[in-house]
This record gives sequence, C-alpha cells and structure tokens, in this order.
Amino acid sequence: MSTLALLLTQFVNALSQAALLFFLGVGLTLIFGLMRIVNFAHGALYMLGAFVGYSLSSWSGNYWLALAGAPVLVGLFGAAFEFSILRRLYRRDAHAFLMVTFGLALVVGEAVRLIWGSDALQVPAPPLLSGVIFLLDEPFPVYRLFLAATGAVVAVAIWQFLERSRLGLLIRATSQNADMANALGVDIKLIRSCVFGIGCGLAALGGVLAAPLVTASNGMAATVIIDAFVIVIIGGMGSFLGSLIGALLIGFVQVFGNYYAPDFALAFMYLVMLAVLVVRPGGLLGKEA
Amino acid sequence: MRSATRLLIWIVVALALVLAPLGLPPFAMTLLTEAVILGLFAMSLDLMFGYTRLVSFGHAAAYGFGAYACGWMLLHTGMPLLFAVFAAGLLTGFIAIGVGWMCTLATGVSFSMLTLAFAQLLYAISFKWTSVTGGSDGLAGIPRTIGPFGFAALSSKIGFYYLALGCLVGGFLVCSALVRSPFGAVLRGIRENEGKTTALGYNTRLYKIAVVAVSYGLGGLAGALYAPFAGFANTELLFWLLSGQVLIMVIVGGAGTLIGPVLGAAFFMLMEHQLSALTEAWALYFGLIFIAFVLFAPEGIWGLATTRLRRAAPRP
Amino acid sequence: MFGQFRPSRRAMLKVGLAGAATVASPAILRLGAEAQTGPIKIGMPLALTGALGSVGQQQKRGAELYAKLQNAKGGILGRPIELLIEDTAGNPANCVRKAQEMVERRDCRLITGVTLSSEALAVVPKLAEWDTIFISSDNGDGRLTAESLVPNFFRANISGPMGTRAVSLYLRSAKLQKFYALGLDYAWGHNSVQVFEQEALKSKKEFLGKIFAPTGTKDYSPYITKIRQSGADAVFLVLQGDDNNAFLSQAQQYRLPEKVKLLTEIVDLASIRAVGDASLGLIGSSRYSFTYDHPLNNEFVAVWKKEHGTVPDTFEGEQWQCMKVFEAGIIKAGGIEAAKLRPALEDIEIESVKGKVHIRKCDHQGVQQGFMVEVVKKPGFETPVPEVIATYPGDSTTPTCNTMTFKD
Repeated sequence: MSTLALLLTQFVNALSQAALLFFLGVGLTLIFGLMRIVNFAHGALYMLGAFVGYSLSSWSGNYWLALAGAPVLVGLFGAAFEFSILRRLYRRDAHAFLMVTFGLALVVGEAVRLIWGSDALQVPAPPLLSGVIFLLDEPFPVYRLFLAATGAVVAVAIWQFLERSRLGLLIRATSQNADMANALGVDIKLIRSCVFGIGCGLAALGGVLAAPLVTASNGMAATVIIDAFVIVIIGGMGSFLGSLIGALLIGFVQVFGNYYAPDFALAFMYLVMLAVLVVRPGGLLGKEA
Repeated sequence: MRSATRLLIWIVVALALVLAPLGLPPFAMTLLTEAVILGLFAMSLDLMFGYTRLVSFGHAAAYGFGAYACGWMLLHTGMPLLFAVFAAGLLTGFIAIGVGWMCTLATGVSFSMLTLAFAQLLYAISFKWTSVTGGSDGLAGIPRTIGPFGFAALSSKIGFYYLALGCLVGGFLVCSALVRSPFGAVLRGIRENEGKTTALGYNTRLYKIAVVAVSYGLGGLAGALYAPFAGFANTELLFWLLSGQVLIMVIVGGAGTLIGPVLGAAFFMLMEHQLSALTEAWALYFGLIFIAFVLFAPEGIWGLATTRLRRAAPRP
Repeated sequence: MFGQFRPSRRAMLKVGLAGAATVASPAILRLGAEAQTGPIKIGMPLALTGALGSVGQQQKRGAELYAKLQNAKGGILGRPIELLIEDTAGNPANCVRKAQEMVERRDCRLITGVTLSSEALAVVPKLAEWDTIFISSDNGDGRLTAESLVPNFFRANISGPMGTRAVSLYLRSAKLQKFYALGLDYAWGHNSVQVFEQEALKSKKEFLGKIFAPTGTKDYSPYITKIRQSGADAVFLVLQGDDNNAFLSQAQQYRLPEKVKLLTEIVDLASIRAVGDASLGLIGSSRYSFTYDHPLNNEFVAVWKKEHGTVPDTFEGEQWQCMKVFEAGIIKAGGIEAAKLRPALEDIEIESVKGKVHIRKCDHQGVQQGFMVEVVKKPGFETPVPEVIATYPGDSTTPTCNTMTFKD
C-alpha cells in the first residue's frame, strides 16, 4: 500500500469516526448550552438509538426507515423526559441534574437489556452502502464514506437551523440569556423540551449509524459517554462549532494515534484534552475563563 | 432539649458502631466495613463538592491511586498495614497538590472535566504499567501485614473494622474542624460567590488547591483501606463509573453535611448489593430510586432524617 | 415522600427486609449438620448484565438446566442441588462481595461461574480463608493454572493458551506461512498472542508482528490497515464480545477476509449471530461446539433443544461440563468439604460432552480435547454454524504443568 493511499484511507476513516463522535457531542453541547445540564444519560440514549434502529430495520426490512425513525422516537422520548421530570428541577442545584440523568442512564440501559436481551444484535448496512470503492487501488467501505458525508450534511443542517430558522434563533437567544428571552415572551419551556429532544435524537442518530460498524450491544453506552464529554470539553461546553472541531480532532487523534502508536491509544485522547484545557481552560471556543 | 436529643443520638450511634462486632454475624461485618470505607470516600468528596462546589468527575483517581499505592507497599515492602495505609493516603494527598494546581486553572464544568481527564489518564496508565500495577489483572492477594513490633490486632476481620472506623471518625473530625475554621468560611465563600471572595483579598486558587489535596488525600486513605480489605486493587477502582457513583453517594446522602454522604455511601452499596440479589433488573430500580430522590427528597437522606428529627423533637 | 412512587417503594421495602435479615441472622456460622446433609449449594457470582452479560447468561442457563435435570434424578448423593446465582455486573469488587456473602452468610462452599478473569483473580486468593472450592467454567487466563494457581482452584474449561495451541497445531499442516496477530490489550490477549508467536516460530512459520487494541475499541480501521499492510496470509485474533463483533463486521466491510485468512482463538454462536455472514469462513478453536459428534454431546444437545428450542452455545456447554466435574468429584469425595473434595478432584477423570476430561493433579487443569471449527452455512440453520474440522488429543493441547508453554 502506498503512503499516499494509506494517508488517504486513514483520512477518510478519521472523518467517518469524527462524524459519529459529532452526533454525540453536538447533542450534549446543545443541551448543556441551553440548560446547563451535563447529560449522563447521553451514552444510554445512543445505545437506545441503535436498538430501536435494529427493531425498525428488522421489522420493516428497511435500513432507511430505521435511520429516520430511531432518532425521532428517541427524540420524542427525550422530550417527554424533559417535560415530565427535568422541568421540575430548573430552580434547583446542578447536582439534581447529575443524579437524575445518572438514574436515567441506569433505567434506559437496563430497559434495553430487558427488551432486547444480552446478546449483541446485527444491524446490517443497506445493500446500497455495503460495497467497497477503490481509493488509489485500496478497497474502502462505501459505508464509511456515507458516514463522513452524513456528518457533513448534518453539521451544515444544524448550523443552518441555528442560524436561519426561528426556533434556532430562539434557542440561541435562550442559551445566551434565558431570563431576557423569557421576558421577551419566548416560551422557554417549549424550547427546552425541543432542545433536549433534539439532543437525544442526535445521540440516537449516532447510535443507529454506528450499529453496522459495532453491532447493537449492551456495552455500547459505557465507553461512548466519555468520548462525548471529551469532545464537548475540547470544543468548549455549549459551542456548536466547538463540538464539530472537537469531534474532528478526536476522530483524527484516535485513527492516527491507534495506527502509529497503538500502545498509547488509551491515553492519547486524555492527553489532548489536558493539553487543550491547560492552554484554554474553557475549551477551544468556550466562554469560561 | 434539641441538642440533648442530638447528643443522645450521637452516643447511641457511636456505641452501636463500636459494639457492632459483638452482635453482628461475619458477613454483616464485611458489609459494614465496606460501608465505612466507602463512607470515608464519599465524605472526602463532600469537602470539595458540598463545601466548595468543586465538582470532581474523577474522584476515583484518589481512591484507585490510594488502593494501588497501599497494595503495592503491602505486597512488595512488607511494610506494616497501619503505616502502608497512612503512607498511601498521604502520598495521594501530596500528588493531588499537582493535580489540584492543574485542575484549578479551570472553573465550573471544565474543572470537573479536567479531574475526569486525570482519572482516565491514571486508568490508562494502570492498564499499561504492568510491572507496577499488574496491568489488567491488577494487584491480587494483597496481605494485611502485621506490625510494627508484631502488633497484629488490626489484621483480623474485627481489628480491620476498627481501623476503618477509626479512619472514618478521624476523617470526619478533620473535615468538620476544617469546615468550621476560618479556612472553611473561605471555602463557603468560594461556593457562594468566588468573585466576591477574590475581591475580599483571598487567593481563592490556593484555597481550592488545598481543599483538593485534603479531599484527595482522604479519598486515597479510603482506597488504601479498600486494598487490604478486599485483597485486591484493579483498574475498575480508577474507572469513571466509580467517580460517577461516588458523586451519587454524596448527593443521595445530602451534599454539604459530611455525615450525609457517609449514609449515602452505605445506602448505595447496600441497595446495590441487596437489589441485585433480588432481581437481575436491579439497575432499573436503582435508577428509578435516584430519580425519585431528586424529585421527592432533594436534601438527600440526611435532609430526610433531620427534618424527621426536627418534627419529632418536642418544642421547648 | 415516596407516595407517588409505588414500585420502587415496594422494592425498597423488600430490600429493607432483606437487609434486616442479613443483620438478624445468628452470629455463629452454622457449618455443622446442615452443610453436610442439606442441599448442595453451588454459588455463581456471574456478570449477568453489562458488556459481558451474554456470557454470564449462558453460564446461568447451562447450570440451571443441569441442576433441574439432576435434581429430578435425586440430586447428588441424594442431596438436592441449590444454585445461588447473583449478578456482579462484571465488577471484581461486587464479585468478591457476592462470593463472600455466599460463603459467610449462606454457608456455600462451592463456587463456579465467575465470568471475568479479573473477577477470578480477585476471588482466588480468598479461597483458602473461605475453605471453598472454585471450579472455573470459562476463565481463560493461563496464569490461573500457572503462577496464580492456588490449591482450591480447578479449571474444567479450555484455557486461552490451550485454545491458541489448537490453532497452532492446525496451522502446522496448513499452507499458510506468514502470520500477524491482533489481541485485546489485557492479560488474556497478551498471553494468547505470546503463545501463538512461540508456536508459529517453532513450526518454522513467519510471524510478522502483533498489535493490541484496548477493550471497547469502536473503530478497528487502523488495525485492519496494519494487518493488510503486513502482507500476512492470516491473522490470529484474540478478541471477545463487542470487540470481536466490531472487528469482524468492519473487516468484512473492508473485504479483509478476501486477502487475509481470519483465525481466532474463540468461536461462539452469540458472536456469529451478531455479525451474521461476516463470520463465514472464520477458522478457530472452540471451547465447546454443539456440532461435535459424541454420544453424550448429542444427548445434551437434544435435551437442550427440548428445553430452550435452540442449540447450546459455548459457555452453556462449558458450564454443563463443569457441573459434571463437580458431580463426579462430590460423589468420589462423599461430600463437599474442601479437605475431601480437593483430593477427590485431583486426578479425576470423567466422560463429558467434549469427550474425556482429566483434571490433572499438578496444576488442576482439565486435560481435554482441543477443537478446531470452521464457520459455515448449514441447511436447517438460519445463521452460520461452527463445524468441527479437527480435534487434537488433550495431551497435545494442554501446556506443561504450571506453565503456559508446550513441549514440542
């Protein structure tokens, strides 16, 4: 394999991993930006997305339905959770959210095991995406290209949504100053439900997209939440662009790090995070000093 | 009257704990000892979390480091149990000065995430530095050595319980003295309004580093007790999950009360142990219990207990 | 204050009662009459939930079916078998606590199950103090019967080095010449890759390199690229659970198997079902395979189908065999006391679903046949199944006593 081919395939790999990380991170950061909640249940919702995706695709035989349906269902679940439980806690200490989302993570994780069982489940990529293309004579899975492309599309879509749409405007306004937005007649309660739902839905999108790579399994939630934290922290809590940069950085660090220095694979990500935070304690694009 | 009642309760609790080995069967003593150790761990976090609002997402680093340090000393140096436990605690506190210095560069959630990064880094190191940590196997067969001068009383099951209880009580006395001192007043100032405290001329960062060091030191002491208690130390003790769990112990017990987190730790451990014996789906109920606590008992177990007491106590 | 929250209130009440029972039980452990004549208690602290929950569930099913059938026949020595099964979530701290409770409070002196090697390594040093016999049914770490061996530990299952050895023996007669190895970055992965490397060099094959991935790796592309670049004919995999599934799925997506033969240390049905056709053509050693043709195994598979409607998986078979070792040992010893059971188990030989199993005295390892299987499509099965392509006698696959190395 030529060096150029190697670099090219690793580059696209890194993009595809960054896309998966971005879906996780951006949801977390949106939720944090608006509500100051560190959502410990984010990994569990990612896993829930993969399993709901499994059921939808094996029930309908259609991966695309799963891809569209799982985020919507999990998003609705998230919004319902916000509506029924989180809503009562906004006047309270931040630690109420820590515990309530930790509890949610346990409940969702166990519910998944009760409903779908302990064994890992296969979610095959659709036939259209299961082939390979040749990048400089090296076979490369089409599915990974699809992931990278989806990441780009979703990133642009969220950006446009935040910049252009009315709801996006309200979200940004509320993130910056909730009291002011409230005084101006913005229905903050509705916005919070929406954002929590969207964040959970994005996590589920990550889960259903990751499923053909890693299968849907009970162990999915545990490691992924830390990745999501790292991305969001590197980018700066609450920053949309930051989560994109964080995801790209970690995607590249993981792929190239595991290739060139596999012995340090576990430590790399944290070293990068420490380095960023020591230089910029609020994260790359964060406001906190 | 109320202070008399309180004193009475304290005496009863203290007596019960001291006399527990006389009446309890062996396994109840095992559980009680573990609860005492975890109680010390949770209390150490409360110093940061409840009194200074420094939320550590990586407190497992202290526990795990203490456990590995103590386990290593017991396995390789034959140092007496008592010395190894305290040396490991002190070492953890000392190293935490550096960690505290780094982490306090940031505030708020970034502080939390830096502590998490340190803990995960230690986790990665414990996996890789096999010659010292035993890698994924961890350190097993950690002995409860005797000495000095052939003093063996602490190595028995009951003796070890008293050692752990002594550490908990000692830790509590240190913490409560600390939070009542002028130092503690500054900590509360940082909790309520750091900017104002800085404006009053305090170098809040030094105070924060100090509280991180004390807190990690006590957490390390708890870990140092755990290693000879369980006979092993492994990477799970450094994993972020334990950091999350100890946060929950503090919140469930009642943050900022020192005693509450001790109760929270016992509650958490016993609940997990008993629920998982009753049903495989224990995590579901466990999660629901936490959600219920947040909704219906915001002040935690200690809050529940004290409001009950206040209501029960006759008015003077 | 829990008024609106009935289910958890009830659960808490139950827990409270159980807690009270713990405290209220009498101060002296009753080791006397009941332990010698009452039910035979076998403790199983299992990882029923969490990342390895699938394995723990298999162990549970294997033991439960055995206990059910054996109790219908009157138990062992006329005493019924009582399984104490509890979830550890794969955490060594929980496992030690659960095992300790089984011993101290429930008067149980036999342990099996213990799903993870890290849990086993934490439990093993306590066996002497507990006066308890532990027979492993799935722990692969070679050291448990080498430098970490304790007198009360036995292993009825095939260990990691034994599985690797079967693969190595198979390769001696195969055309493949150049090898690469990918293992999980913990004790089991390192041990097995080390054994494989030694064996490959002994049989004059080329060993091109090795790489280790941390458990929980989601993206295997850097490793797949390394394997492809190495120019190896075959790669030896020491992966398990989620990591195994992720690697096989992604290797298939990269068309890796078209260029490089995939060999693996362990083949199980749960994994095959999880990755589907991506497992086709996989060759590896099997701890237990339902397709092994042996009268006792055919009988076991038939009974299993009747009970569960499916065929038994790896650790269901391994657990079943482990229970048979318990049974033979207890009958020979005439009881369950460690002082009698230990010598009875040493040098015991039984006929099991995998053929002859001989627990050797020197390191307490169960000497048994090694199996090589290939994952193929078979009529009558929805998913691919592992078919036995070679067996090796136990003497050739079991390491020299107390080591992880082999003579020839």
